Amino acid sequence: MTLASHASAILAVTQLIAVTWITPVAGAILGASILAPLVALWFLKLRRKRRVVSSTLLWTRSLADLRANAPFQRIRFSWLLLLQILAVLAIAFAVAQPEAEGLGSAGGRHVLMIDRSASMNTLETTDDAGKALDEPRTRLVLAKEAAKTRVRELLGGGWFSTRASDVMIVAFGLRAEIRAPFTDSIASLEAAIDAIEPTDEVTKLGEAMELARAFTTNLNLNDARGEENNTTSGPLPTLELYSDGRIADLGEFALREGEGIVYHKVGRTPTNVAVVGISADRPPEQPDKIQVFAALVNPEPVEKKVTLQLAVNSAVRVITPEPITIPAAKEERGSYIPGRAQAVFRPIEQRENAAIEVAIVEDDALRDDDAAIAVVPPARRLSVLLVSNGGFLLRTLLEGLATERFTTVSLGEYEAMVEGGTAASWDVVIFDGVAPKTLPSGRYLSFGPPPPIEGLSAFGSHEGVYPRVVRDEHPLFRSASLDELSISKMVAVQPDKRYMVLVEAPEGPLIVTLDRSDMHLVYVAFDPLDSNWPFRRSFVNFVANAIDHLGRAGDSVIGRTLVPGEAIAIRLPAGSRDGVLTLPNGSTEKLAIDQDGNVSWGPAELVGLYRIGFLEPGNETRQERLAAVNIGDANEARIEPRESLDLGTTTVQGVSVGESRRGALWPWILGLGLLLVLSEWWYYQRQIRA
Amino acid sequence: MSTPKPLRKLDDLLDSRLMAKLDSVDVVSRKIFSGKMQGERRSKRRGQSVEFADFRPYVHGDDLRFVDWNIFGRLDRLFLKMFLEEEDLSLIIAVDTSASMRVGSPDTFDYARRVAMALAYIGLVNQHRVSLVGFAADKIERASNMRGRRKAAEIAQWLLKLEPEGGSGFEQAMRLVGTSRQGKGVMIVLSDFLFPEGFEKGLSMVAGRGFDLFALQVLAPQVVDPSREGGISGDLLLVDSETGVETEVTVTPELLKIYKDRLDRLCGGLRAYCARRDIVHMVVETSTPVETLMLEYLRRRGLLR
Repeated sequence: MTLASHASAILAVTQLIAVTWITPVAGAILGASILAPLVALWFLKLRRKRRVVSSTLLWTRSLADLRANAPFQRIRFSWLLLLQILAVLAIAFAVAQPEAEGLGSAGGRHVLMIDRSASMNTLETTDDAGKALDEPRTRLVLAKEAAKTRVRELLGGGWFSTRASDVMIVAFGLRAEIRAPFTDSIASLEAAIDAIEPTDEVTKLGEAMELARAFTTNLNLNDARGEENNTTSGPLPTLELYSDGRIADLGEFALREGEGIVYHKVGRTPTNVAVVGISADRPPEQPDKIQVFAALVNPEPVEKKVTLQLAVNSAVRVITPEPITIPAAKEERGSYIPGRAQAVFRPIEQRENAAIEVAIVEDDALRDDDAAIAVVPPARRLSVLLVSNGGFLLRTLLEGLATERFTTVSLGEYEAMVEGGTAASWDVVIFDGVAPKTLPSGRYLSFGPPPPIEGLSAFGSHEGVYPRVVRDEHPLFRSASLDELSISKMVAVQPDKRYMVLVEAPEGPLIVTLDRSDMHLVYVAFDPLDSNWPFRRSFVNFVANAIDHLGRAGDSVIGRTLVPGEAIAIRLPAGSRDGVLTLPNGSTEKLAIDQDGNVSWGPAELVGLYRIGFLEPGNETRQERLAAVNIGDANEARIEPRESLDLGTTTVQGVSVGESRRGALWPWILGLGLLLVLSEWWYYQRQIRA
Repeated sequence: MSTPKPLRKLDDLLDSRLMAKLDSVDVVSRKIFSGKMQGERRSKRRGQSVEFADFRPYVHGDDLRFVDWNIFGRLDRLFLKMFLEEEDLSLIIAVDTSASMRVGSPDTFDYARRVAMALAYIGLVNQHRVSLVGFAADKIERASNMRGRRKAAEIAQWLLKLEPEGGSGFEQAMRLVGTSRQGKGVMIVLSDFLFPEGFEKGLSMVAGRGFDLFALQVLAPQVVDPSREGGISGDLLLVDSETGVETEVTVTPELLKIYKDRLDRLCGGLRAYCARRDIVHMVVETSTPVETLMLEYLRRRGLLR
C-alpha cells in the first residue's frame, strides 16, 4: 500500500467517524519534534563504533566502579554533549511557548485598547512588512484584525496554547468605551471588535487607562488611616494598546507599579497635510460678504506644496491659482514644530447662511483632515430688549448700536411679555438694575441684582473693590480692557460650578457667564453707575460684545466650529418639531426638540457637515441649520506612527502588528532545536569516521 | 587491530635458532615425582640407578642382588642397598583456546602457542612425557604422553590446528586434567585468566593434586594498557568476544585509571591465590620475545634451568 493510499484511508476513516482535528498543526509539530530526535538518536546508537575485545569483564567492572565511586562526575567538555544540551534546551523552550518581547505573555487578564481616533482613519497601502495590500485599508481595520488575531492567540486553546483567563475590549478616541467586559468568549470579543466604528476624534488615552484600571482595582474602605486607597484585586492586567501612538495626553500619566503595557504599533505611512483651522466671518463693514482664512499644517520634515479649493454649499467657488507652500516640520530643542501656512481668500459674496469648505485638492493618506468646514449665519442684525427702571445710561448706549430692533420696557411690562409668550422673540434681553420674578429660556445680560436662576445665590454686598480679569481671552473682552475699573459697591454672589467666572475681585466674582443649551447669561454683579466704568470706552465695547455673543449664542453651534467628540446643542424656534439630523456620512437620525426649541445630540464623532432639519410653528417649509465638525488638531495630523511611547519614566517600544500577527516564537526555537540535533549527528558521524 | 599472520608450520611456532638454544634447557620440578618408566629424572623412588640412597634391613622376598655383602661380612646381618631411581617427568601444558585469547598485537593466542611449543620441545628433548591440553568451553583437546625429539613435529601440528573460539571452560578442563591418569608432574597453564566465572575453582582442581603448577598469565599490551596504540579510545560499543555482550564505553582518563586498577586487582588476586597454593604465577606480556621469556624469565622463576 502506498503512502498516499494510507493517507486517504486515514482521511476516510476520520470522516466516517467525524473526527475533528482541533490542533493538527500542533500535533504534527509535536510528532515531528519527538520523532525526528528519536530517529536521530536511533541512528546515533546504531552507528556507535563497535569494537570486539577479548573480554568486557574488566570494562563492565570498571564502569560499575566509576559509577559507584563518582556518581556525580565532573562533566568533561564535549562538543557532542554541548550540542545535545542546547538541542534539549531549545526543545524545552519551544514547549514552553515563549513569545516575542512586546507581545505580552499569554495567561492572566488582558485589556485590548483600540484607538479609533482620526489618525486611525489613515489609509495604508502596505502592511507593516512593506508588502502591498490587496486594497488600501485604514489603520483601524488593521488594528481590529490584529486585535482579533490576538484574541484568538490568547483564547485559542489547543495543547500548545495557555488560555488567558479574560480579555476586555476598550475602544477610545476623545472618550473611552468598554466594548466588551472581561470575558473568555472569543465570539463576543470578536463581535465587539467588529462593532468598533471609526471616529474623527483626537486621541486621549487617559480615560481608557482609567476604565481599564477601574475594572481591576477595588476601593479599600477599610484603610487603617481611614483613607480611601485604590488597591488591586489580583494581578494587574496586561494592557495592550493598538494605536499609531499619536496620543494627545501621553505625558499626563504614568504606569503604575506592576502594570504592563504592550504597544502594538499600527501603520507606517507618514504622508499627510491637514487643514487644521478655518475662519469664515462677515466683516462688519461688509455684512453681505464672507472673509475666509484657513490654517494648514505639514507634519513631515519636507516642504509641501498644496492646492486649495474653497466651496460654498458644496459648490466650488475658488481654487488657489498657485500652490501654497507649507514649510517642513522641524525639531527645535527637543520639541516638534509642524510646518504651518495660512491661506487667505478674497471676501466672497454670500448673504444667506452658508457652509464654507476649504479643502486640499491633492490626496494623501488621511483624508478626513484634508478639509475644514465653517458655517456662516445669514447676514442679520439682532433684536434687543432693555428692561430697566428708566436708567438712561444703557438706553443711550444701545440706541447707538446697530440693531434690528431695540425697545425699552419696564419690569412689569417685561413680565407681562413673558406671560404672553412674546419675550422669546427677542434675541437678547438686558436687565438694567432689575431682576424679574422668573427667567425663561433665553439670552440675558444682567446688571446689578442677580436674576432668579439656579446656582447663583446672593448674600449681601461689598464696597470698594478692584477687579481682576480671569479670562481676558473671552470674546466679551475684545477691545475691552478693565485695567482701570474701580467699583464702589458690588453684590456678593456665589455661583456654582456651571458658571464661568470671567472677572473677579478679592471679595468674590464680578462678571460670570452661564452657557446652557437653553439659557445663556452674562451677569455683571454691580451697577455700572456704582463704578467708573461708564466713563471708559471698555464699557461700550463690553456691552456690544455681550450682545453679539449672546445674540448668536442660540445658534452658536452654527457659527462655531465643533471638534469631534463634542455635542451639537442648538436652539431652534420654540415649538419647532420633526427634527432630523443628517450626518456627514449621509445617515439620518431623529432629533427630540423640547418645547423651547432646544436640541442637543452627540457626541459628533465624524468630521463634516451636520444638517439639522425641522419644521417651524406655522410654517410647513422645512428649515435647516448647519453645524460643522473639523478635526482641527495638528497632533492628529501627524500620522507617522510613534516607534515608542514614553509613559512617565517608562518607555514602551512599539511592536508592529505585523510582527504580533506572527505569534509565538516556539516554532522557530523548535526548528533551532532540530537543527542542533542534526548538527550533533553530523559531528558525531565525522568523529567516528575520523 | 590488524589480523595476525597465521601460523602454518613448526618453524612459525619455534624457529631453529631458538630450538638450538633450548636443547640445553630442562624443566625443573620443585617436587620429585614418581614416574611411570625409567627416565632421565631422579625419582623419589629407590630404584636401579647408580646413585646410592640408603640401607634397610633385608626382609624376606627382597631381591638378593641388592644385598650389601660387605656389610654382611662385617656385621653378619643382611642389609639391602638402596639406590635413587631415575624416572621420567610428566609435563602437562594447558593452553587456553577460548575466543578471548585472540586479541592484541602480538596476538595472545599465537604467543601462547609459541610458548607451549617451546616448553613442549624442552620436555621432548629431555625425554619427559609431554601432554598438551587445549581448553575452551565444551571443547577440550588433548595430545598425551609424547616423548622424544621426533614428536616435536606432531606437537607442532597439534598446536597449529587449534583455533580459539567460545568461552573459557577452564574449570571443566582442570577437573579433567586433575582426575586423569596423567596427573602429577609439572603443569603449565597458559591463559589470560580473564574468566567471567573466576579462576579459583579451576585452579583448585589441580592445585591440591601433586602438580608442580605454573600459571603463566599471557596478556596483550593493549589489555594491560588500553591507551596504547591499537588500544581503546573514544566512544565505543565494546563486544565481548566470548559472550557477545555489548557494553557502551566512553573512554576517559578516569575510566582508564579505574580499568588499570581493576586489572591490577585481578592479577594481584591471582598472584595471591597462587602464592597460597604453592603455584608459581607470572604475568607475561605478548610483547616479550619468546626467547627472552624462555631463557631469562622462566629460568629466573625456576621453571627452566
